[in-house]
Amino acid sequence: MKSTPINDFKAGSDDISASNKNHSKLSSHDIYVIMPAYNESKTIKKVIGKLKEKNFNIIVIDDGSHDETYQIAKESIYNSPNESIYRHVLNRGLGAALRTGIEAAVARNAEIIVTFDADGQHDPEDIIKVSRPIMEGKADFVIGTRDFNEMPLSKKFGNEIMNVITRIFYGIHVDDSQSGLRAFNRKAAGFLDINLRGYGVSSEIIGEIKKHHLKIAEVPIQTIYTDYSMSKGTGLGVGLRILFKLIINTIKRVFL
Amino acid sequence: MILHIYQILGILIGIIAILLSLWRFKDGKMSLGMLLAWILIWAAIIVISVYPESTSLLATITGIGRGLDFILILGLIGSYYLIFKMYNTIENMEHEITLLVRELALQRDETKSKIDKK
Repeated sequence: MKSTPINDFKAGSDDISASNKNHSKLSSHDIYVIMPAYNESKTIKKVIGKLKEKNFNIIVIDDGSHDETYQIAKESIYNSPNESIYRHVLNRGLGAALRTGIEAAVARNAEIIVTFDADGQHDPEDIIKVSRPIMEGKADFVIGTRDFNEMPLSKKFGNEIMNVITRIFYGIHVDDSQSGLRAFNRKAAGFLDINLRGYGVSSEIIGEIKKHHLKIAEVPIQTIYTDYSMSKGTGLGVGLRILFKLIINTIKRVFL
Repeated sequence: MILHIYQILGILIGIIAILLSLWRFKDGKMSLGMLLAWILIWAAIIVISVYPESTSLLATITGIGRGLDFILILGLIGSYYLIFKMYNTIENMEHEITLLVRELALQRDETKSKIDKK
């Protein structure tokens, strides 16, 4: 693997700082889409292409993929203040990747940060949809809620369980705790103290939002189901693993 | 005094373990505190192997009854404690690795932009 060439870095961040002066009129220029990717070489190019069409700022975090994800993403990402790719040298899990992405977005003065799955299950149109409550000042954190009835049974079950677990451990009920499409503002990003590394992070984020009394909104979103996206995400196995992690963490919090 | 096979095994394993610990300490792979703790544990195992009756006294004091039961219970609790300690150590290391990996990813980007500005 070659290290990234230096000269493809587009200099100048004037356009971003300029657009930030006007807080009341947030546009797609103020939205940073962070996309954690682990072994998504089959879909990532298409997903990045769709996001670029809509002029979103993109931050890709390759979480130590074993396939060509990084190389493929690198071809479509022109390194500039508006598009960049970060790479974890080792696979550290969804939570770690999100954290890197959030830090990078905050460093670029992002006003709205949207997390977006790299497996192609989300519709880029929904980015604006989940960002709207934040633009209108109605929420600090927005969850894009998937329709559970469209899911195959095992997934539906896994996600329902995760909602219950989220409620037990973090004392808050949301309709889709495990959704990969979320939006939050700068303020919320500053409060997020993410410790879990794996999939449990989705629940932890919601817990953090509740802990700091931030405003939550839930917006229904589309889910594009393909055989590929179906094979990933929260099934029963992942659910049980998350449960184990949360129990251990609670024990540690109480006894140590 | 005739030693049973389990007693000889206990003594041998104890001595080998202490020697290994000393060796690791010499190589700088073990701290002084850990060395002392391990020597104490293995020495106790040697003493118990030589004088198995001594455990009966401890068993009576703690109210467990039989000497062997006392040793087994102690061993189990000790093992669980060690497993718990190891779990925590590994968990902490995982956390530190994650910190490093994330920091590396972010800093690499910073270095790139610095070189670019020059």
